[in-house]
Amino acid sequence: MSLRSQLLKGVLEGCILSIIHQQPTYGYELSVKLQEYGLADVSEGSIYPILLRLQKETLIQGTMQKSDFGPKRKYYHLTEEGEKALKEFIYHWENIKLPVDNIIQKGGENS
Amino acid sequence: MNSKDIIKMNNDLREELSEENKKIYEDMLVYIRLNANKSEQQTEEVLLELLEHLLQAQSEGKTAKDVFGDDFKVYCDELIEEIPGEKKSQALLFGSYIIMHYLAILSTFYGASSFLLHQFFDIGSIEFTFSLGSGAAIILIDLILLYFFIKVVFRWMKGSTFREKEIKKWVEFLQIWLICVVFIGLSLAVTIFMPDFGGPISIPVLTFVGVGIILFIVSFVLNKKYRITK
Repeated sequence: MSLRSQLLKGVLEGCILSIIHQQPTYGYELSVKLQEYGLADVSEGSIYPILLRLQKETLIQGTMQKSDFGPKRKYYHLTEEGEKALKEFIYHWENIKLPVDNIIQKGGENS
Repeated sequence: MNSKDIIKMNNDLREELSEENKKIYEDMLVYIRLNANKSEQQTEEVLLELLEHLLQAQSEGKTAKDVFGDDFKVYCDELIEEIPGEKKSQALLFGSYIIMHYLAILSTFYGASSFLLHQFFDIGSIEFTFSLGSGAAIILIDLILLYFFIKVVFRWMKGSTFREKEIKKWVEFLQIWLICVVFIGLSLAVTIFMPDFGGPISIPVLTFVGVGIILFIVSFVLNKKYRITK
């Protein structure tokens, strides 16, 4: 796997945890939210392998619930471990975001 | 929600797909379901999610490629890799159900046909004499053959998904017919060529019918209780 997709995957996992943290979400809704935030590059279906992995790692849990309209849907919510993983992600992200931005900007000035 | 209920929901919802999407989705469904060692519950849950997603996308004028990417097979492989394995207890239950059902059919059919042949046409004997050792060996080898038969059929079905060009119906029929002939032939060959060893026993052929019916009842009760197939 390319570095680009690996980087994206880790970040995407963090974003998904964060969105589910805000409120229990189902698959389609999640993909719409990601796109609304501007992650249009992510193909819609790519969230499902990630959701499966997050479930396997017991960071999230899905329950079949009746939605306001339409059929039963699988709503995801964070487990305690998920909350912890999200906090860790935010911590790492905060630590890396600024330095990376600075480095890139410096590089941009030189070129 | 039990995986069997989800399958029912999936069957109903699938009808709402457009012709083109239905073909793609059903290929994905077959391709993903054929992984026998994966958790059935997780498999069905994610299949239903994909279906609902595709239905939404369809109503917004998006294509299956917009949702799942350009290569459906690669996408399915990615999914399959993340689906957790089936629990040991569940796999054991399913395995014993298949074995019991298979032996029930063989036993009942063999017992009933031998009895009837003897009764009406005076062919064969009302007593069946066999050696304990070779009898057990035959059953064991037949079960191993059954295992490979299922494997081969699964592989064949997997190969029938995501075809660019449709294969002719009679070619498909011939392929599956050949697989069945080889399986049945090998199963029979085992009984014919197995040398006798172990002490010989004689039992009335109707015993087989009795054993078969008991196996049927046990597998039926197991199925009712644990919802193995329904």
